[in-house]
Amino acid sequence: MINLHPTDEQLLQFAQGLASPGLSLIIAAHMDMCGKCAARVAQFEGRLAEQALSHPQAAEPELQKMLDSIMALPAQTGVKPDCATFLELDGRKFALPRSLQRYAGKISGWSHMVGKLWQARVDLGIEGRADFIYMEKGGSVPEHTHKGNELTLVLDGEFSDGLNHYDTGDFIRCDGQHTHMPHTEADEGCLVFSLLDQPLHFTSGLARLLNPFSHLFFK
Amino acid sequence: MLVGIQLDNRQSQGTAPIDVADEMSLCLQEVALQRCQASFARLFNYFAPRVRSYALKQMGNEAVAMELVQETLTNVWQKAHLFDAEKGSPSTWIFTIARNIRFDMLRKQQNRKEDICADDLWPVLCEQTAAPGELGLDQQVTLDQVGQLFEALPDKQRQVIEAIYVQGKSQQEVAESLGIPLGTVKSRTRLALQRLKEMLSEDD
Repeated sequence: MINLHPTDEQLLQFAQGLASPGLSLIIAAHMDMCGKCAARVAQFEGRLAEQALSHPQAAEPELQKMLDSIMALPAQTGVKPDCATFLELDGRKFALPRSLQRYAGKISGWSHMVGKLWQARVDLGIEGRADFIYMEKGGSVPEHTHKGNELTLVLDGEFSDGLNHYDTGDFIRCDGQHTHMPHTEADEGCLVFSLLDQPLHFTSGLARLLNPFSHLFFK
Repeated sequence: MLVGIQLDNRQSQGTAPIDVADEMSLCLQEVALQRCQASFARLFNYFAPRVRSYALKQMGNEAVAMELVQETLTNVWQKAHLFDAEKGSPSTWIFTIARNIRFDMLRKQQNRKEDICADDLWPVLCEQTAAPGELGLDQQVTLDQVGQLFEALPDKQRQVIEAIYVQGKSQQEVAESLGIPLGTVKSRTRLALQRLKEMLSEDD
């Protein structure tokens, strides 16, 4: 069951088209999985449309020319999805939410990291980085906190991090106030989509040695 | 007396938006089905100046704003068949198109590779293949079951469903290839899905 959602403010910014592209993408993917947030955004869109378009405006003479040139154009079909629907790892196939499907074909390959972790970077042309991360059963990320913001969407499976338990569809926000160690005991492991605007900061034991290099691992 | 007149005006304004929404819905339908120029002119005259005002606020530049208006209204003309009155009002639909185009224009201005585009985020201008949430078929029944139910559909409905859901055609393309109006394709699709839904719940 989905327990964690974007805030109303984030959903409103998304509906306005004012949220950053990375945040917009992960919210869109969450909405593909969460009817409640999709309905909320539709509600915002209705209100925004009313605010933006309900007041009469003077007609501009220039618009008349535009009308004629538009009507000279033929009808067109809409955009059709033409993308990999599945993300593949080690012979396993994961179904992806609609918004992320186009990116399944754009990963730069999976790399196997410490602690039964797999990571596939997606180049979105945004600040920070975006990855699909898969944790095998018993896998974990060393305890860390964040210099910036980390957004995580659970795409398949479930995991815990010492603070909470997360299920498929959950939208998780972490920042410098959160120190956590994600791990999963689920038989099928756990696939997440993660957005990071600053490198992680590892907080315990030997993993602290990773900090000078954390940009190599996570940024 | 004057006050009375003003009050009357206000009341009629209060009910006006509903009528406008209905009227604009009909216009969109006429554009989708008949490429009706008079209907489009009404849509255009109502919405283009309003979209322009939104665009000016967003882009702050007359030329860029007009580009946004042109692209928005061009999509309305060319893709009116994608408007679905059950999902929202014409004004909401047109607002979301303008918002999407604004998003893509700003991404381009920033010289970003167009990695994240509005169509990924808001499928306003995407053809519906399988309408989301209408039937979670693949999750609830096996392929064999669907095959049997599918065979039980009336020929005309089966033809449309096969073209859309098996061959992946758009409703517009189906209308063209079968030489029937788009409205007929839509109603056959709706009836067939309704029928399948009923048959599935009988099965349970």
